[in-house]
Amino acid sequence: MIEVKAKLNRKQFVFDVNYQFTEQVTGLFGPSGAGKSTLLGMLAGLIKPDSGRLAIDDQVLFDSMQGINKPIYERRIGLVFQDSHLFPHLNVWHNLNYGFNLLSPVDRRFTPNQIIDLLEIGQLLNQKPHQLSGGEKQRVALGRTLLASPRLLLLDEPMASLDMRLKNQILPFLRRIKEEIKIPMLYVSHAIDEILTLTSEIAIIEQGNLLAYGNFHEIIHQDNLQNMAHSLGLENVICANVSKHEMMYGYTELKQGNQTIIMPLIAANSGTLVTISVAASNVALALSRLENVTIQNQLQGVVTEIKQIGYRILVTVDIGERLIVAEVTTKALQSLGIAVGIKVYCLIKAQAIRVHGVIAS
Amino acid sequence: MWVDLFRFTPAEVVALLLSIKVAFWCTLAIIVPGVLIAWLFAKKSFFGKSLVNALVHMPLVLPPVVPGFLLLLLFGNQGLIGKYLHEHWGISIAFTWVGAAIASAVMAFPLMVSAAKLAISQVDAHLEVAAQSLGAHPLRVFFTVTLPLAWPGILTGLILSFSRSLGEFGATMAFVGNIEGETRTLPLAIFTYIQTPGSDIPAIRLVILSLIIALCALMGSELLERRAIAKQGRCLSD
Repeated sequence: MIEVKAKLNRKQFVFDVNYQFTEQVTGLFGPSGAGKSTLLGMLAGLIKPDSGRLAIDDQVLFDSMQGINKPIYERRIGLVFQDSHLFPHLNVWHNLNYGFNLLSPVDRRFTPNQIIDLLEIGQLLNQKPHQLSGGEKQRVALGRTLLASPRLLLLDEPMASLDMRLKNQILPFLRRIKEEIKIPMLYVSHAIDEILTLTSEIAIIEQGNLLAYGNFHEIIHQDNLQNMAHSLGLENVICANVSKHEMMYGYTELKQGNQTIIMPLIAANSGTLVTISVAASNVALALSRLENVTIQNQLQGVVTEIKQIGYRILVTVDIGERLIVAEVTTKALQSLGIAVGIKVYCLIKAQAIRVHGVIAS
Repeated sequence: MWVDLFRFTPAEVVALLLSIKVAFWCTLAIIVPGVLIAWLFAKKSFFGKSLVNALVHMPLVLPPVVPGFLLLLLFGNQGLIGKYLHEHWGISIAFTWVGAAIASAVMAFPLMVSAAKLAISQVDAHLEVAAQSLGAHPLRVFFTVTLPLAWPGILTGLILSFSRSLGEFGATMAFVGNIEGETRTLPLAIFTYIQTPGSDIPAIRLVILSLIIALCALMGSELLERRAIAKQGRCLSD
């Protein structure tokens, strides 16, 4: 359990968070400048809060009342940043062992060989950091941090400087660390997809405050997150099972309750649970099932709510087991006579569905 | 006659060896304080920093004879510190080769500090944070991360200091005089020849020697620095 109770006042920025992170892996999500890195900096010992208390389990890191402020090098908190910050004058082997050698043998949780195998970096040991690719650097940085046997792993946008192909060389290893090593992790990212691949447990920070926390699929529909959900096109986030792939016709079929959703082929085995999303602006409404149309998904439901936010009109449709939000114009609303209680079909183009990766179980 | 250009007298050989001895001890003496002050300047802010900075760099802009004279006032046998040393310990610094090394050290110190400060401030602070987060005490971080990464720049400072010491004239002359076999280094020997009528050939001989030494020092420093950078495994794209 990670206890965070901290206040910090800077000219343009007020940070005030009071929360206990109990999940093994929590994703910290929020716009840049929201205070995600500030929170990590406080835990790591880089930033001193004005007041409050920080602790991991029973070990106090900072307590303004008791006058405790442990220095960075006594906190045993692992840091992995966007840039790997490997020591350029040391080869991979010596980088890996830097923290490990400083530990007394009783505190060592892993051996170098375990970590080298886990991260598959055995063939890099004699190389200097400048000879490594971006993905390899991050794996070595992860290994170096893990070998220092941290009590908490802080990951600050560790994949932000990597392209999609390289991200896929890191993510599986992060999942391995989560599943095999079981170190508590806080994962900061402004890319929700990345977080969801690792965990559904999310804390959302905005303007120095914890806006919401809990299971992403539950909290994303909260009223105070609607603006954020809208700006990210995440009004409709759905967990669905992959039921089959139609290679010939280039689509994947998903099951959500008794509804079938069709989307372009994705790389996930049948039976696995995936997270998909559709922006409200990509959902159209029709009063009857349409024939002679290319739109593949026509989900039947009943209008349960019509909301106006500024000029946007959001229509909530109950499709059985879950709600779909569609954004329509006032004109469309009036000419079709859409009102609460009416039966409609939600029309969703297969191509408008985004997949956010396989859900970590 | 041109053969005379390479026929060194024993006194000239003594002057050459003395120059090297003085430069060696001067450089050795400023390594630790130079790097320490440079680290303070690069990493810390403290009260009176700009004043200390100005004092350290003063010898660069003063006429060299001024620090030389001040040293005499401090360390001369009648000087503030020199008197004490002389009366209680029987040590006299003025007019000895040790004094020449001290004069050189004062003149070379700002060069050492500037080069080392630049090198230390260019070490990525994130690396030092990373090392601390891995459990390393700041002192260990300094010796295992900061110092190795700043080493090429520090090396440049050392070679600059060594070269500066070889060329030291004004402060040495004022503080320890021009005593053959004790304080007459190469520049002072050249000066002595220039002052003596009919000694142009030996003067030119020593001038050529000085040129060769300077060239070797500069090219050597370039080589060492390049090798140190290559050893760190840094490349231009970093």
